Amino acid sequence: MAHEEVNSCVILKDLHYSVKNNTWVRVVDDSTVVVGMTDIAQSLAGALLHAKTKSVGTARRLGKPIATVESGKYVGPVKSPVAGEITKVNEALVGDAGLINRSPYNDGWIVEMKCENLAADLAELLTGDDAVAAYKEKIETDGIECTHLDGSDTYA
Amino acid sequence: MDMDDLEGKKILVIQTHGVETPTRTYSPLFYAMAAAAMEIEVMVWFTMNGTNQLKKGEAEKVQLVKDSNVNLKTMLEMAMDSEVELRVCQQSLELWDMKVEDLIDGVEIMGATSIIELSLTYDHVMYF
Repeated sequence: MAHEEVNSCVILKDLHYSVKNNTWVRVVDDSTVVVGMTDIAQSLAGALLHAKTKSVGTARRLGKPIATVESGKYVGPVKSPVAGEITKVNEALVGDAGLINRSPYNDGWIVEMKCENLAADLAELLTGDDAVAAYKEKIETDGIECTHLDGSDTYA
Repeated sequence: MDMDDLEGKKILVIQTHGVETPTRTYSPLFYAMAAAAMEIEVMVWFTMNGTNQLKKGEAEKVQLVKDSNVNLKTMLEMAMDSEVELRVCQQSLELWDMKVEDLIDGVEIMGATSIIELSLTYDHVMYF
């Protein structure tokens, strides 16, 4: 899977990003997506201790929390990058919120959502080289350096 | 209680500790941010010694986590960014010779009767 690294922060080019909220969207089919936190988000939050997702069936408007995450130094919402209903949550996060740190784009996914107007939502997000360029600017402006816990995913 | 039932609830956090006790300044703001992340409406009410951390130039001096760039000013700003409302007791300003213009941006002043009235409309009050 094509990716770029900026200050050790991994950006996968096939995902769609809300750069402002540091979340990503993986398109499953024309109305279903998986959502998670970016490598930048997990680095800024630090080693996560708890992640609580909203329940299956919860309808979310754009920007509303799909989960809350907390580390020793940070607590905050994971804001939805799309509008839709939560159809699955990552149960593995209940016992191991660190999955988000170690595998932000794979095993540490947060929820699956069914969207009514996915094309419109995706149009507001960035993907490919546009996403990389936007993150490069953000990472350099904010002086972000990503950190990875032992056992983190590697990207070929 | 299911997390989905919390939306729309209101919590009032009362902070009476200030810059002279750094370890007592962190948690109330952290809880407030946690509540905000859970879509709970949250207000932090500073009174007594709590008021002195809102004086311009003071919170920056309070380092909270060793070897970290997070200080009390950072926490107050993060709280405000999380839509936590910060209010200060008007009467307590005098304790610290503070005037309205001494307050950091984003903090509103309220009188005692307003806070009593407000506290009755909140679902829960956390007192520190």
